[in-house]
Amino acid sequence: MLKPIKKPVVKREYTFLERIYLWEIVKGLKLTWKHFTFNVRASFRPGPHTVPTCWQYPEDRRPIAPIFRGAHYLALDEKGRELCIGCGMCARACPAHCIKVKRGKPPEGQEEKYAGKTICESFEIDMLRCIVCGFCEEACAKGALYLGPDYELAEYEKGPCIYDKERLLANFRKARAEGKLKPKRKPVPVAAPEKKPVGKKAVSPEGKASGSQKEK
Amino acid sequence: MEDLGITVIKVVFIWTWVLLIATLMTWVERRGSAMMQDRLGPNRAGPFGLLQPVADGIKLFTKEDIVPEKAQKILFSLGPVLFALPAFSAYAVVPFGDKLVLDGKEIILQVADVNIGFLYIVALGGLAVYGMVVGGWGSNNKYSILGGLRSTAQLISYEVPFGIVLLAVVMVFGTFSLREISLAQQGTFLGFLPNWGVFKQPLGFILFMTAAYAEANRVPFDLPEAESEIVAGYHTEYGSMRLGLYLFGEYVNLYTLAALTVTLFFGAWHLPYLDMSHFLGPISYGIASFLVFFLKTAFFLWLFVWIRWTVPRFRYDQVMGLGWKALIPLSLVNLFVTALIIQLTV
Amino acid sequence: MREPHCNVPGCDLGSDQMVGDYVTINIGPSHPAMHGTLRVVAKTDGETVIEAEPEIGYLHRGVEKLGENLTYNQFIPITDRLNYCSSIVNNVAYEKAVEKLMGVEIPEKAQLVRVILMELSRIADHQVCIGILGVDIGAFTPFFYQIIQREEIYEIFEWYNGARLTVTAGRIGGQDADLPDMFEEKWRMLKDGIRKANDETDKLLTHNRIWMDRTIGISAFSAEDALNFGFTGPCLRACGVPRDLRKDDPYYMYDQFDFDIPVGKNGDVFDRYMVRMKEMEESIKIIDQAYALYREMPEDAPLKAKVPKIIKPPAGEVYAALESPNGELGFYLKSDGSDKPYRIKVRPPCFMIYQAFPELIKGEMIADTIACLSSLNIIAGELDR
Repeated sequence: MLKPIKKPVVKREYTFLERIYLWEIVKGLKLTWKHFTFNVRASFRPGPHTVPTCWQYPEDRRPIAPIFRGAHYLALDEKGRELCIGCGMCARACPAHCIKVKRGKPPEGQEEKYAGKTICESFEIDMLRCIVCGFCEEACAKGALYLGPDYELAEYEKGPCIYDKERLLANFRKARAEGKLKPKRKPVPVAAPEKKPVGKKAVSPEGKASGSQKEK
Repeated sequence: MEDLGITVIKVVFIWTWVLLIATLMTWVERRGSAMMQDRLGPNRAGPFGLLQPVADGIKLFTKEDIVPEKAQKILFSLGPVLFALPAFSAYAVVPFGDKLVLDGKEIILQVADVNIGFLYIVALGGLAVYGMVVGGWGSNNKYSILGGLRSTAQLISYEVPFGIVLLAVVMVFGTFSLREISLAQQGTFLGFLPNWGVFKQPLGFILFMTAAYAEANRVPFDLPEAESEIVAGYHTEYGSMRLGLYLFGEYVNLYTLAALTVTLFFGAWHLPYLDMSHFLGPISYGIASFLVFFLKTAFFLWLFVWIRWTVPRFRYDQVMGLGWKALIPLSLVNLFVTALIIQLTV
Repeated sequence: MREPHCNVPGCDLGSDQMVGDYVTINIGPSHPAMHGTLRVVAKTDGETVIEAEPEIGYLHRGVEKLGENLTYNQFIPITDRLNYCSSIVNNVAYEKAVEKLMGVEIPEKAQLVRVILMELSRIADHQVCIGILGVDIGAFTPFFYQIIQREEIYEIFEWYNGARLTVTAGRIGGQDADLPDMFEEKWRMLKDGIRKANDETDKLLTHNRIWMDRTIGISAFSAEDALNFGFTGPCLRACGVPRDLRKDDPYYMYDQFDFDIPVGKNGDVFDRYMVRMKEMEESIKIIDQAYALYREMPEDAPLKAKVPKIIKPPAGEVYAALESPNGELGFYLKSDGSDKPYRIKVRPPCFMIYQAFPELIKGEMIADTIACLSSLNIIAGELDR
């Protein structure tokens, strides 16, 4: 059995001004009045987003960070070629197991449409499972898969929530048209290994082994 | 005795007016609280969101009327009615202006100038609690019952100081009629102060306001519907227009209490140091007195909103403690001192 | 020990009956004041709680089991979902455990980034807690003043690696990104914003007698009992025990920073509130100092230790803990040398604190139950895992 617990008795000590309630209430009223007048004045200013904290959502949107993690897209390079080679690293990195990639060869005569030797025949992301952690983007060695700027992911049916390759490419085109393409992820500088055998050259700042992506 | 037609017009007018203001109050509450909290509040329906109450009303009317299976049907339906009825009828004795002279006929801007106006108000205020208790009991929900019990205890405790403060006011003005009290507040006393109740009964005013907040179940005394503790209190199980009646009755109550505060303590339709009847025509004077009265009422309505979004909520036993240990002794002291002063000066 | 059901005679858990003089009130799992899905079955006499029985598990998602089927890095996003108010602290706590298991020391710059992000999370967590405490006691307005500043903190997280709530900050061995460029300017403004919000909350609440009546002496707890129950964090410090892992077992660079540990006296709701308010100020101080150190680091200073791509810690087990906003957040890991952990056990601060909840509210009123629960800052995601 538990030892019976005796709760300490606390004596409330109030100053006179605290004791009479009203003084502090009046102080509080003054504060809320200050906010009230400020916001009323602000809400009469012309233009959207007048009250500093409120965004009138569908019309007036909060600017998002350029590295925002939203709906995925599959990138094309400057020449319009698909970058994805279908290696499946993203699928392996995914903690939610929501990516399915099928690797294939480019169809006959259409090699110029693809940047790599191999392509992804199909690419499926189940957005109902996706937790938008960004691991796939990090795992992608070719810089093909990104989590784009689009955050309106609701659909009326289940089907469209599973993004196929066309949808992912369409997402890319949309982001490109809006000028919201994500900058290429900057690999973080990695420390030189401590217990390196003498003789091997230390990693220079230029030759930093670009994040976790290139190491074996 | 005025003729029936005028009385009916007055009833219809003031009823529409109170309903309109009560509707508007939901908008004021929501926008006002939003502005205090650095938000915007409802601003989509109509200009500045002014049609929001209409939208709310449509929503409440068109929602399915659900009666819980284990509720006591009769009591459940009776609750909102019992709550709204006293709220709507309480305003009858409170004036809303001085008088309007039309075709040489004097129309008093008050539905019924009964000489026991005070008793009427106190009695109807006491009746309102039945709506909450009956609704809470009929819902067959523990939270509802708790809410109903809380409201009963609170109302009983605060009726007492409420009544005692009113007595002190009656002693000062020497009448039970609200219209006569209003008329008595014209001019000045001690040479410089307006002849208002608040200057003659400063302590009484604070006590009265506190009791009024408790009667109206407003923060910091909103225990019967404290949403973080007992979900929604006595109206937990209510939906659609039944809930609408509860919410509506509350705002109508607020209007009555605000108007009562103005009548008793803030000189009704009188402006300080200024007698409007001297330089205004009979009709414009009537309208002006109505407007002055309403503006003062509007301030107290706003105060209800303002305080609600500033202070935390009491606890049940603390409310009782405040009522019995602070308000009642203080109001008795107030009564005694008032009596003493009247005895010494008159 | 306690039975899973209310063990008082005549008290039938979950029953709709009102037996004897007492009424059983079922608070939760869906109740306006239950944070997430907690459930408390309270036996009341009028409004006084005679006995209460918390039920847990309504938000159980099998987080620990999930970890056994995911690689070490893949578990990081799952830790976001433990205490969702301060996800970064969870991430770092987990990474710290794995790094300890692997014997990896992360670079100094990464440590500083972690410290800055964790203290930001701590502020955000305390803001939520204080705001909600206000809401539960009926004061709505301070909540918004606090939550607006929290949004600004989330903005920093968004610019850090693209997410606001479930940040997934850091990887095993270091950080996944550097502090954003906008940090310096943003922080300068944010600091004032947080202080202003705290000041306004203070004005609205601290000396208001209604607030004091509602909080002082409510669910007071002695230091001895708190230690016996395994309290940590602000709830323990409110009882007057200056226990803080940042000072007692310094990790990262906390021993280099100058900050105080605010303590209370009675361990009541008011003291918990005050401890949290003061801790936010201390966190601001820590971030200032950490950022000053961070600025001295070269631009290309490493943010990640050299770790293999596939994390395979040596077989063994480890427990590592750090001071999360709610107390000691520990991760116990057992590795069998493969790329997936053999066992993960989370030691959430809430779980130990919530054990004492029936004792804390015994004899208090229903309204105090809610105030007490908010002041303990029980997060269901962390409690039920």
